[in-house]
Amino acid sequence: MRGPWQIRKTGESRWWLAVALCFLAACGWMGGYAVAAGPAGSDLLGKLEGPEVVTDLAQFPKSFKEAPQLVELVKAGKLPPVQERVSQDPLVIKPVHETGKYGGTWRRGFSGPADFWNGYRCCGHDKILFWDYTGNKVAPNVAKGWEISDDGRTITVFLRKGMKWSDGHPFTADDFVFWYEDIYQNNELVPVKIPVLSINGKPGKMEKVDDSTIRFKFEDPYFAFVDVLAGATDLGGNALRGRELTGGFAPKHYLQQFHPKYVGKEAVDKLVKAAGQDNWVNFMKLKNDWSLNPELPTITAWKTTTPINTPTWVLERNPYFYMVDTAGNQLPYIDKVIMTVTENLEVLNLRAIAGEYDFQARHIDIGKLPVFLENQVKGNYKVYLDPADSGCDACMFLNQTYDADPEIAKWLQNRDFRIALSLGIDRDQLNEAFWLGVGTPGSQVLAESSPYSPGPEYRTMHSTHDPAKANQLLDSIGLTKKDAEGYRLRTDGKGRLRIELITVGGQFLQFTQIAEMIREHWRKIGIQADISEIERSLAITRSGANELQAQLWQNDGTEHFFTFPGHLFPFQAENALGGVNMGPLWARWFRSNGTQGKEPSPPMKKLMEMWKKAFGVPQDERIKLGKEIWRIAVEEQWAIGTVGLSPAAQGVRIVSNNMGNIPARQYNSPDGMTPATSRPETFFFKK
Amino acid sequence: MLAYILRRLLIAIGTVWVISVVSFAIIQLPPGDYVTSYIAQLMSTGTMVTQEEAENLRAQYGLDQPIYVQYAKWMWQVLQGNFGVSMEWKRPVTEVIGDRLLLTALLAFTAVIFTWILAIPIGIYSAVRQYSVGDYVVTCMGFIGLAVPNFLLALVIMYLAFAYFGASVGGLFSPEYIDAPWSWSRVQDLLKHLWIPAIILSTAGTAQLIRILRANLLDELRKPYVVTARAKGLSELRAILKYPVRVALNPFISTVGYTLPFLVSGSIIVSIVLSLPTVGPLLLKALLAQDMFLAGTIVLLLGVMTVIGTLISDILLVWIDPRIRLEE
Amino acid sequence: MAEEAVLHDVETPVVPGTTDAGERIYVASQWQLMWWRFRKHHLAMAAGIVVVCFYLVAIFADFLATTDPELSDAKRSLMPPQRIHWFDGWRLRPHVYAVKGARDPKTFKRVYQVDPTQKIPVSVFARGFTYKLFGLIPTDRHLLGVGPGYEAAQTLFILGTDVQGRDLWSRLLFATRISVSIGLVGVALSLFLGVLLGGVSGFYGGWIDTLIQRIIEIFRSIPTIPLWMGLAAALPRDWSILQVYFAITIIISLLGWTELARVVRGRFLALREEDFVVAARLAGCSQMRIIFVHMVPSFMSHIIAATTLALPAMIISETSLSFLGLGLRPPAVSWGVLLQQAQNVQTVAISPWLMLPAIPVIIAVLAFNFLGDGLRDAADPYGH
Repeated sequence: MRGPWQIRKTGESRWWLAVALCFLAACGWMGGYAVAAGPAGSDLLGKLEGPEVVTDLAQFPKSFKEAPQLVELVKAGKLPPVQERVSQDPLVIKPVHETGKYGGTWRRGFSGPADFWNGYRCCGHDKILFWDYTGNKVAPNVAKGWEISDDGRTITVFLRKGMKWSDGHPFTADDFVFWYEDIYQNNELVPVKIPVLSINGKPGKMEKVDDSTIRFKFEDPYFAFVDVLAGATDLGGNALRGRELTGGFAPKHYLQQFHPKYVGKEAVDKLVKAAGQDNWVNFMKLKNDWSLNPELPTITAWKTTTPINTPTWVLERNPYFYMVDTAGNQLPYIDKVIMTVTENLEVLNLRAIAGEYDFQARHIDIGKLPVFLENQVKGNYKVYLDPADSGCDACMFLNQTYDADPEIAKWLQNRDFRIALSLGIDRDQLNEAFWLGVGTPGSQVLAESSPYSPGPEYRTMHSTHDPAKANQLLDSIGLTKKDAEGYRLRTDGKGRLRIELITVGGQFLQFTQIAEMIREHWRKIGIQADISEIERSLAITRSGANELQAQLWQNDGTEHFFTFPGHLFPFQAENALGGVNMGPLWARWFRSNGTQGKEPSPPMKKLMEMWKKAFGVPQDERIKLGKEIWRIAVEEQWAIGTVGLSPAAQGVRIVSNNMGNIPARQYNSPDGMTPATSRPETFFFKK
Repeated sequence: MLAYILRRLLIAIGTVWVISVVSFAIIQLPPGDYVTSYIAQLMSTGTMVTQEEAENLRAQYGLDQPIYVQYAKWMWQVLQGNFGVSMEWKRPVTEVIGDRLLLTALLAFTAVIFTWILAIPIGIYSAVRQYSVGDYVVTCMGFIGLAVPNFLLALVIMYLAFAYFGASVGGLFSPEYIDAPWSWSRVQDLLKHLWIPAIILSTAGTAQLIRILRANLLDELRKPYVVTARAKGLSELRAILKYPVRVALNPFISTVGYTLPFLVSGSIIVSIVLSLPTVGPLLLKALLAQDMFLAGTIVLLLGVMTVIGTLISDILLVWIDPRIRLEE
Repeated sequence: MAEEAVLHDVETPVVPGTTDAGERIYVASQWQLMWWRFRKHHLAMAAGIVVVCFYLVAIFADFLATTDPELSDAKRSLMPPQRIHWFDGWRLRPHVYAVKGARDPKTFKRVYQVDPTQKIPVSVFARGFTYKLFGLIPTDRHLLGVGPGYEAAQTLFILGTDVQGRDLWSRLLFATRISVSIGLVGVALSLFLGVLLGGVSGFYGGWIDTLIQRIIEIFRSIPTIPLWMGLAAALPRDWSILQVYFAITIIISLLGWTELARVVRGRFLALREEDFVVAARLAGCSQMRIIFVHMVPSFMSHIIAATTLALPAMIISETSLSFLGLGLRPPAVSWGVLLQQAQNVQTVAISPWLMLPAIPVIIAVLAFNFLGDGLRDAADPYGH
């Protein structure tokens, strides 16, 4: 018998040979990736387009048509005829490309019961007014029109006569009054009143004029109230805000059975207990939740039939929807929306790549753009890019009220220091690595196409890559001493000047990696950045406690900075990220009207005052104020912009080739609730 | 024997109570609570929540009470069989977990079967043909399965399955079968999706089992009775399978109690990567959101399963191996 | 399993002229026997060499790296590994070609074209970025580098680059340093606790034993992932990432000692009845002396084996936890961090070389396992 030693030797050498072969094979496989390849991509950035609201009565359709299954139900006597269902003043929409066909199921992916915005954006559009597809003009939606008095103190909103809830009950001004008097004024249900229902701190009033007219009355002029009604605000409709018991209106005929005023406290307590709840307020919120309660009547195009806290969130056609196309077809064309849960976003993206979704922009990762393009033919879809109008997807917010380290505080509050930091960042590098070159490098100012843009020169102001100038500025303010490795030293003798930069992981952009690149850029201007990635809730807590020096976060929403001011200036100290880090103590001062916190520097004070004032002045003066606000923001560089105007935030859109009326480009905005601005009720399936 | 079981049972109950306290404490460890993470979600979509609203939410969810009060309330409910309502899912915890428990058990069961199918033949072969080429090859393969980080493997296999076989991506069901009632075609769909995670999960356990089986079998094969069996003319296969293998498998049977809790927690990462509707990802999300009742119940469940597993294993061991009984 | 007999350090008088090889076994010490037996296990020997190599890499990471691992340049983003060409015509002159990259406007991939006319020489012991060898001696020599006039940071990419354009080879070396050293502290602590508590439990028996056993059981029932998450979030905010990770490793090893304690307890229970222990007690030795001088050396080999086998578990935990975002995070660099950054669809589909850090993980785990197996087999010199 051969000694074990001998067998072992050959066995082992064969084993090593096998390993070596595998290794070589792997190298060969990877070598193949060095070669350029790929099918031809398409023109990804199209022209901004979208459906339009028809207001010319002469063009209104005279007769109406409906979906085939509804025809059957009408025949069986289960539904009233279509002309009675769409109201006497239906919303007439001219689809962007053509009249569509009925039928089909829209497949989407969502990430779990916390992803209700997914449904709001695609399907829950019952805002009183609306942003049109340009994102800058207010259009009718639930209301067919509005009127502002000359002094701006009274805003009248006209509803549609004969409009109905999804269960056939009439939708009237009574639903607004019910919300205002029985829900909003009830301090148990809504203990904190809505800021946007006040002007200059004085709350407004809502009153019924007649069954289809509602009037808002304010003590001071409030011209911007119309924008508030069009935006995703606390008055943004029952689908969007019902779960918080705000929104502006609520189904009276349904909710009154849960309200003590109408059925008595005992009856309500019994219902609450029977539902396994222990708290009436919680119970009410659950009942009024558009994504959670299939019995809640609604006026949106699709109604939840299987709620969000199950593996599939299903929404089905609302037979009483008040929108029609120019040919008289009652919308929506699409019968059903099915969202399947995918908790892991990599898997969600891979499913989109595989073509398992029909229209998906939410959770789509811009870093995977090449893979999406590669699989367009296989997945039978097309990739569109919808750049946002906000200036920076990764802004650096520098804390002006930081006080834990006086030396750092001194420099953060020094405008030249901030400008030098900004000039030290090589934005083209960041754009290439993380935005695949699709973003626009520059400051945090909103897009030039917005009426509030102060001018194209503000895009590059203080926001180019100029290390020479940066070094010069830093030398000129007194940071002249450097250590052996070239880093600037503190003036108080305590060693190197280090800025602590906080990032949050797991977001739509790789903030920490972006911070790493910025750290390398700052080496050349002698500033050391210490990067620390922390968990989001912890970041929120520390921000509010004024502990952060600098933070990287997005400034989305600032394209509509009146309704989304959070990243423009320190608007609120608690439960916020981003803008709050410009100065949490300033935020407290702002919120408490000067009684708490710290008084802001003169430019910030001016900005805050202008912002508040803008709500009460007419449009053209508001635009002037808005431009001046942005001028100050860019000149002061409290927030350093890097790269923005990009499709990174929900702007990479995968659309099945089977869908029609898909705009080539959408206005990408949280306030507009994109794709709402493209009226998904007009999307249809070609086959 | 009975006294032994009773004693272990009492101690088990005590252990479970300690685990409940520890689980509750762990969940409360991170700063903030469910409301903090709920607000973080709202805030990332532009909704501003003021401090007063946050306080209000806390009172609503009962999160403004001191910790021991919250723990006492939770324990009292649990003892009555009411595991509370998940703050994130807004459904009773039993419903949320219940949906997934069956699938978790199925996945665990399939992984264990795969592991045994792979490990037992390899273990026997490598013990019988010790130091041969085959021994080294299969041992190495088994160990590579242990060493490869299985989350990476999961992603790669999932992508390759999609790219080259057009398989539907991740999960345990195709979209049309997710909510469907049980039927033969649904079972088939499940099996089509189940093999990827089961194989990935089994790779880690295989090496361990091979090693143990090999060591045990080697010990047994040197014993005199095997020599006797061969001398008496028993065929090689029978001589190995009839007694040595059965003795070598003893430890497996006694450790079977550990498998379920081990697989539930050990499969968390793979389940997350493949987006499987099992208990693992549910636990992770609940912990991140600090969804107290859901997280607490799952952790308690895992702890209880481990204790029961230990108990079963100990009892089995005592039952199978008379030497231990005598020692006690 | 049969109990092994333990040979003591007995001085056998050697008769001059009869040092036969066969005789050597009888006079050899326990450690020599272990070593001879270990030597026969070739796979374990090879694994041992591999483990030593890993630690050498950890010490010499700066020397082996070609560039500063933090240098980024988006123009080099996602470059595939470069081929080193060994021959220039007929002469042995290793070189790489210059590479130019751009983003393809149609596919949005980074595309790199090789320029065969530009040959950049690759040399050994070349000059590169400056660093301090062993933290003391400043130098700029590296194992591999490019010829004078070129910057390694811009030309040499043995394993390609990541999305920021950072050299993967250099990053991998520094990651190795952190990954192989970080497990040591935790394992050492586990070792200490395991021996102490297991020994106490086994030596004294009785109610101490029962109490410690129950504590062990409770510890084993606590699911580790929730504990990690809770701890990761609860630690002081101003600690650096490395400090936080050390703290967590220490706390996790406080859970990991249970396995070792059980083994030690078993050994103690068996050894307690041995003649030499009884003899030591009768001779009047203190209990501490009996434990540490007489009993512990008897199962030291088992301890070493168990410890070696605990290290791969540490490595796998580090990679898994970094993947979940609970372990080390950027800007720190470790195997887990590198794999976490490779854990996405675009890497698997388009830039798979970023998954190469999985290979050292696999090799390290295999090596430690085989080494541990070999040590465990060798720890039983009087067995089969």
